[in-house]
Amino acid sequence: MKKISTKIILGLCTMALLFSSCSSELDTKPKVELSLENLLANDPNAVQGLLSKMYGTLALSGSKGPGSSDISGADPGETAYLRSIINLQEFTADGMKNRWGDDGLDQLTTTSRWDPNNKFFRYLYDRVYYIVPQTTNIIIALGKVDVENKEQIISELRFIRALAYYTMIDAFGKGVLVTNENYGTSTPLPEASRQELFDYVESELLDIEGKIGLTNEYGRANKSVVRMLLAKLYINAEVYTGTQRYSDALTNINKVIGEGGYTLATSFVSQFSGDNYTSTEIIFPLIADAVTSQSYGNTTYIVNGSCSTETMNINDFGTSDAWTGHRATKAWYGLFGDLETSTDDRAKLFWTEGHNYEMENYKTWTDGYPSVKFRNTNFSSPSISTPFSSTDFPMYRLADAYLMYAECVLRGATGGTSQQALDYVNAIRNRSHAATITSGELTLDFLLDERARELNFEGHRRTDLIRFGKFTGGSYLWPWKGNAVNGAAIPDTYKVFPIPSTALQSNPNLSQNSGY
Amino acid sequence: MKTIYTKLLLLLLLLPFTALAQSTLKGNISDATSGQPIPGANVIVEGTSNGTSTDMDGNFTLANVKKGDRIVVSFIGYSNQVVEYTGQATLNVALQEDATQLQEVVVIGYGTTTKKDATGAVDVVSSKDFNKGAIANADQLLVGRSPGVRITNAGGQPDAAPNIRIRGGSSLSAQNNPLIVIDGVPLDYVSPAGSGNPLAMLNPNDIESFTILKDASATAIYGSRASNGVILVTTKKGTSGKPQFSYSANVAFGKVGKTVDMMDSKTFTKFIQEYHPDLTNMLGVDDPSNALSDDPTTPEIEGRILSNTNWQDAIMRTSIMTDNNFSASGNLFKVLPIRASVGYLKNEGLVKTSDYERYTGSLKLTPSFLDDHLKVELNAKGTQSKKNAIDEASAIAGSLNMDPTKPIYNADGSYAQVTSGTNGKLDGQYNPVNLLNERRRPEEIKKLLANLQLDYKMHFLPELRAIVNMGVEASRSNITETFSDKAFSAYQLDNTDNTYKYHPGKNYGETQTITNRTFDTYLAYTKNLTGFVTRVDAQAGHTYQDFKNDGYKDIYRYNSVTGEREVAVNEQNPNNRYYTKAAIESYFGRANVDLADKYLFTFTLRADGSSLFRKDNRWGYFPGAAFAWRINDENFLKNSQVVNNLKLRLGYGQTGQQDITSIAGYYPTSALYEPGDPNGQYLPGYNTYSPKAFNDQLEWEVTTTYNVGLDFAFFKNDILSGSVDVYKRDTDNLLVKASVPSGQYLTNEITQNIGSLTNKGVEIDLRLKPITTDNFSWEVLGNLAYNIGEITDLGNRSSFDPAEIKLPTSTGITFIRQAVGQQPYAAYVFEQLYDSSGRPIVGAYKDRNGDGVITNDDKYYTAMRPNWTFGFSTNFTYKNIDLSASFHGQLDGQVYNAAKLQGGWTDRPVPNNSNSLNNVLDFYNGAADPRFTNIQGNIPLSDYYIENGAFLRCDNITLGYRFNDVIKNGYGSIRLYAAVNNAFLVTNYSGQDPENFNTLDSNFYPRPRQWSFGLNFDF
Repeated sequence: MKKISTKIILGLCTMALLFSSCSSELDTKPKVELSLENLLANDPNAVQGLLSKMYGTLALSGSKGPGSSDISGADPGETAYLRSIINLQEFTADGMKNRWGDDGLDQLTTTSRWDPNNKFFRYLYDRVYYIVPQTTNIIIALGKVDVENKEQIISELRFIRALAYYTMIDAFGKGVLVTNENYGTSTPLPEASRQELFDYVESELLDIEGKIGLTNEYGRANKSVVRMLLAKLYINAEVYTGTQRYSDALTNINKVIGEGGYTLATSFVSQFSGDNYTSTEIIFPLIADAVTSQSYGNTTYIVNGSCSTETMNINDFGTSDAWTGHRATKAWYGLFGDLETSTDDRAKLFWTEGHNYEMENYKTWTDGYPSVKFRNTNFSSPSISTPFSSTDFPMYRLADAYLMYAECVLRGATGGTSQQALDYVNAIRNRSHAATITSGELTLDFLLDERARELNFEGHRRTDLIRFGKFTGGSYLWPWKGNAVNGAAIPDTYKVFPIPSTALQSNPNLSQNSGY
Repeated sequence: MKTIYTKLLLLLLLLPFTALAQSTLKGNISDATSGQPIPGANVIVEGTSNGTSTDMDGNFTLANVKKGDRIVVSFIGYSNQVVEYTGQATLNVALQEDATQLQEVVVIGYGTTTKKDATGAVDVVSSKDFNKGAIANADQLLVGRSPGVRITNAGGQPDAAPNIRIRGGSSLSAQNNPLIVIDGVPLDYVSPAGSGNPLAMLNPNDIESFTILKDASATAIYGSRASNGVILVTTKKGTSGKPQFSYSANVAFGKVGKTVDMMDSKTFTKFIQEYHPDLTNMLGVDDPSNALSDDPTTPEIEGRILSNTNWQDAIMRTSIMTDNNFSASGNLFKVLPIRASVGYLKNEGLVKTSDYERYTGSLKLTPSFLDDHLKVELNAKGTQSKKNAIDEASAIAGSLNMDPTKPIYNADGSYAQVTSGTNGKLDGQYNPVNLLNERRRPEEIKKLLANLQLDYKMHFLPELRAIVNMGVEASRSNITETFSDKAFSAYQLDNTDNTYKYHPGKNYGETQTITNRTFDTYLAYTKNLTGFVTRVDAQAGHTYQDFKNDGYKDIYRYNSVTGEREVAVNEQNPNNRYYTKAAIESYFGRANVDLADKYLFTFTLRADGSSLFRKDNRWGYFPGAAFAWRINDENFLKNSQVVNNLKLRLGYGQTGQQDITSIAGYYPTSALYEPGDPNGQYLPGYNTYSPKAFNDQLEWEVTTTYNVGLDFAFFKNDILSGSVDVYKRDTDNLLVKASVPSGQYLTNEITQNIGSLTNKGVEIDLRLKPITTDNFSWEVLGNLAYNIGEITDLGNRSSFDPAEIKLPTSTGITFIRQAVGQQPYAAYVFEQLYDSSGRPIVGAYKDRNGDGVITNDDKYYTAMRPNWTFGFSTNFTYKNIDLSASFHGQLDGQVYNAAKLQGGWTDRPVPNNSNSLNNVLDFYNGAADPRFTNIQGNIPLSDYYIENGAFLRCDNITLGYRFNDVIKNGYGSIRLYAAVNNAFLVTNYSGQDPENFNTLDSNFYPRPRQWSFGLNFDF
């Protein structure tokens, strides 16, 4: 009996021990993902790594390969920033059309039936509001730690955030303003008007301009990149705020041209080839690499989307994966006159064999000429065919700055001359072996067409058409505008995109753009 | 210690010989209704302590019997039978089930009760009511057998995931599978790498019963993990009598039932000639004997050799499954009840090379010490499985896409494949036979599930027991994927000489170790009293469980220049390691109080802490209460000849949900930075890091359940018995991955607590025994359940789109939408318009809002998942013959026929970026409508593709015959049987199989129809 009692006591003691809380076990710790402290301790370039991620979000859908996405959506590859820019700036405009449909793409390609449930508007909206809190989060975190080059890095992060807000101003015309000060609040923020966003972006960029270096590593922002964005903001200021700021735009363009050290490349097409990282002309590239930086939303979307084995040998353009999607319309290639006889190098960048000049049906691949301006082959060395593109996307380049100079001068800005404007335009034309024009020919209408010839497929077209008053209404028609084969008028509502319904639902302070 | 185990093992092996040395009264105890043997029945000589109990197959051996002894045979839940011993050599007794006794033990978690005393909605499905025939995995035993328990396996894969839903599902984005507890160890929801089915590690032959806890008064004891119900699996245990052995063997031959109605070679040729005359030169292969090309104006195809390949047949085979099991049970040294079993299953799936092999072993020891004061239970189950994982989606899609005029092999025996260009680039859909044959991906798992339970009854206070239960669930997975010499998947361009080359060798590797631990300690107090309070039964304790998953991957990529496969070096995570750990800790208490022996009360409280939430939100408190009234014990019914049992049950309870690991990972509340993959880098020279989205406000999702139930048994022998339950289940604080105010969180959608969901339903369970005689019995079991869910709130949102279910179009289209006011997982689609002949008008949809244009606002919601589900089974026995059949199905529900979307448009064969034609559904026999030339625009979102998913499936028909006295009189029995599993399917669904968990029928791995033959030999 004594033995048993001992056992019982022993048993009860054990029980008591076992009952003692294991609560500390509930604080589980990861081993692969890192806290900020661990990250900074582990990798001396951790801060650049975070910055790389933020630049990368302009071209990649996610950091876990092309099938990953930072934001949720039906298809990860569709959510990349650059892909959204092509979809929303090019397909909605006159020069480029796509045939897939993809549950909402037809509405962009035909500039009709836009509604707040279209996922393609949401992808851009959500991408902006991925970049904004992410950059803000890192800016705040860096403020609390001691790292080298802090001001430079923070300036770059602020630039990326300003670029994201600029996208909001241009595409949606409003939004919410998340800043270092209000980041972290969970109650829905108030709506910020186009003017408020404009003022914020302007003040940020002016401040960053003074802090960022004149030069930087490849793919990163410098003074000229910041000034290009300022110039974009000012040249469109009348659309955005109702107030003309062409002189301010010209001031910045002058600085880009004068201080940036960029020169026009000898060959036009070299700027859109696999080795364009050697360019002297590109001011701000979005990097792509067939092996280390894969995305269905960087230039891969442009190159593969424009290629098809149905009508071309895709190896000629350095891709091993063609998607049979995008074709230009006569609103673009029609600007060169007869493509066969045109001396303009830029007129040669359409694939006409097996294709029809007219786009009777935008869903038929052979209607319309694919643009082969962008390709994955190298310009100055042999190259290989890969499923992903290695061609960088020239988001800003000197030719754009030249044309913006000319436009500002024509619109009456101070700080430039008509002769210089003409010289810049002819410099671009001469580079492509197009005929020199006279000062009499240099009109705003000519400039809009020249911007198409030079810059189409580079993500500017819709903004340009709106600035020139040609996007909405019926004064200028292009194939499939308003869902009509020869074009139809569209309402002014379409100058901005609808605010996605997911955004409206999660923030009741937001209101829909009028007309949607 | 080690030597003791060796001795035990030796003894176990010697058991057969000692058993044969016995000689005395033998016999078999069976269930009078089903004819199934009753294991564990007691056989004693009346008035003595001389007794034994039956083995797993109902056999017993009783020594020292004299003439005139009265032999009493008893088993809980059955009426006792007394037989006088007159010298007969064998004694076979068929026991009548006795529902009025209701003494059947019901496992309820941290304790047991009886059917009579149960207060919650608890359903027991025991081995005699299991589905029969060729059963590879434990979940198949239960399909259709319990009302409101919907088990939909993913398809015909040998280890298909079961997808179990009890009463719908209580959550939207969080875990919806029930908690499965095997012999007291709650299982992880995460299956080891390489296993699709968490129950695949169990040998179905080892299972004694499933107990399903449905309402919260029953499940609240499992608090944090019980919102979706609990399935308690109890395995067979050793008998207290003489050693018993059992061997069973089964072989099953499986065939595909219905295949997808694609065109054959002749029809396809006609179709191409008619619809795409410019493509006739792509049919078949070039005839090298001439230089002709086809003249589209003639009916013949000139210059081409056409094969007639049925690609679905080409990838499928007659599947063979063999299953062998041996078990031994007995009472070692008369103090150590033991059961040990070994099993070997080889299951060749319908699709070629989809092979599965499993070895199982189990050991259960249930000794008692200290005059039965200390009861010990040791369970150990080991499994080793090996599966060749096929590239299922590609192979099955390939079998549907491939042009039937193409051969499988070239004349020289090599795989046929269209190529393009001069460098041999493979073109179009890869030959699916190559995909299956030229890749090997053995996925090996070794798994151990073991627990030791000590149950100590206090010497000074026998009503009080202390219980300690320690469990471990550990597995190790090894996956190696290799290509053989001619694998098309590894045929890569070498840019140095512009040719394509094969790259045999390793392509992927993974090693994973999972270690989950369970630790329960609790006190239990049970006392029967006289007076107004007739019984008190209470438990209180603590439980801790953790889940650790640690693994490494070998990832390869192809060199973009040479095409060689090389290791994809990930500098930030060189071994591609993944590591997760989660833990749950709980305190629980339960009290059962019976008043006047007819009013039963149960109170439960559990406090749960989860590692997934931050400290301040970590703990949730989940109460439960139930009341049951045994009406038949009231005076006015006590002597009724009609009403044998009538019990009213009322239950209320709350349960919690925290498992959001599939949508938010294991550290959802912490600010963490994740390294990018080698192909997700950006600025040259730096490694990228992503700040991960998190939500530090996360807290418990709470489900409140109300349940009213009635248990009944009427007439002599309980001719009609069963139960009816009505319930309502409200889930609040739903853990949902949904949009957040833009810019205020690190990404657009995060997991958060918003919204509410409600489920309402009725369940009816009936058991009818129209005939019960000595030689002939007939029993019918049936159940019917209705459940309707509704999303009642989503914060400010009216809806969100779950990203996991997408239509198989180019970039994927979401057609399911979770919307307020709708059932969960409803489709959001356009209403198709039809012409007067009933054919769809392509692209024409109803303008539901009447604004004159078709926009997204014209879409409507239509529920996809079934509301009405049912199951029934029937058993006949006549003497030694038994015949049984079981069925299950659903009365409503819908399926999106994605096979029709993918293969049902006339431009489908037109090559896109290739020189190959794609096969299509047969437009000539109505399998698809040729008006559809493409599926662009809104076509995939038309309700034209949504079909009625109602069905009735015959799960099995089994015919058996039992030979008794095989070895000698009263000793040894053999039952032979033949069975058809998945015997037939009744449905109006035009596709292959409407039983589809995600309600999206696309590239489906068909469920085989299996004919099996087997034997059970007990001795």
